[in-house]
Amino acid sequence: MTFTGAIGTACMFPLRAIIRACVTLRIHPNVLTLIGVIINFLAAWQFSLGQFVPAGLIMLVANIFDFIDGKVAEETNQASRFGGFWDSVMDRFSDLSLFIGVMYLYSQLGRTDYVMVAAFAMMFSVMTSYTRARAESMINKCKVGFMERPERIVLVMIGAFTNRMGAVLWIILVLSVITVLDRIYFTWQALKAQEADTA
Amino acid sequence: MTIKRLLGLPARALWHALFWTFDRATWQYDLMVIAILAFIWLTPPDWIGDPTASGPGLIGILLERLR
Repeated sequence: MTFTGAIGTACMFPLRAIIRACVTLRIHPNVLTLIGVIINFLAAWQFSLGQFVPAGLIMLVANIFDFIDGKVAEETNQASRFGGFWDSVMDRFSDLSLFIGVMYLYSQLGRTDYVMVAAFAMMFSVMTSYTRARAESMINKCKVGFMERPERIVLVMIGAFTNRMGAVLWIILVLSVITVLDRIYFTWQALKAQEADTA
Repeated sequence: MTIKRLLGLPARALWHALFWTFDRATWQYDLMVIAILAFIWLTPPDWIGDPTASGPGLIGILLERLR
């Protein structure tokens, strides 16, 4: 087993208990998604105050909700197309709010350079999701590129807990740019192959 | 392994790192995670002008010891 696989398996133990609790309490998965976003807004507020460790802890709680909503929907047979749409939209609010919190902090510190790094990281994070969504309206699957949402979230938490947000933002920016380029290239190739098949 | 293949190996590795198609929990994913964490934790915050980080980082500590 790989070490990232082992971490994932270890994290699943407490999460299974939380999922069971939510199923027993009959909490609607869309409500869980909304609670996750609201908690993420609190994390963003903590980032804006420069309180990185509290922000990281709040993010941890918020992302438990974000992770379990889909599992609860499956276990309670409440999975729906609207649920998927709602989850994606709320994810964007969560992502953007965290970046805004960090950007506010850097602007307060008079660091325009890092405001721009965070702004570009935010732009390419959104484009990572958009390129896949748009590509998958035309081709079957577009799951290429490293920097997806789970990686981004874990990196921001690592940056918060270890006070290395600058390095984390650079990593998110560079790998998000590469991911967007990967998806554009992959979609171009897939569409070219489709057109060749139909011709 | 031929020299041609050996010369091609770094280029292939770079291509696969850039055009990422591997799943999570694979050895390639682990390698990428290690490289990212190394950059985050080893790079001295001064090198990238981190506005909030403190401390020299592991590379900074090692460089100070070598001086």
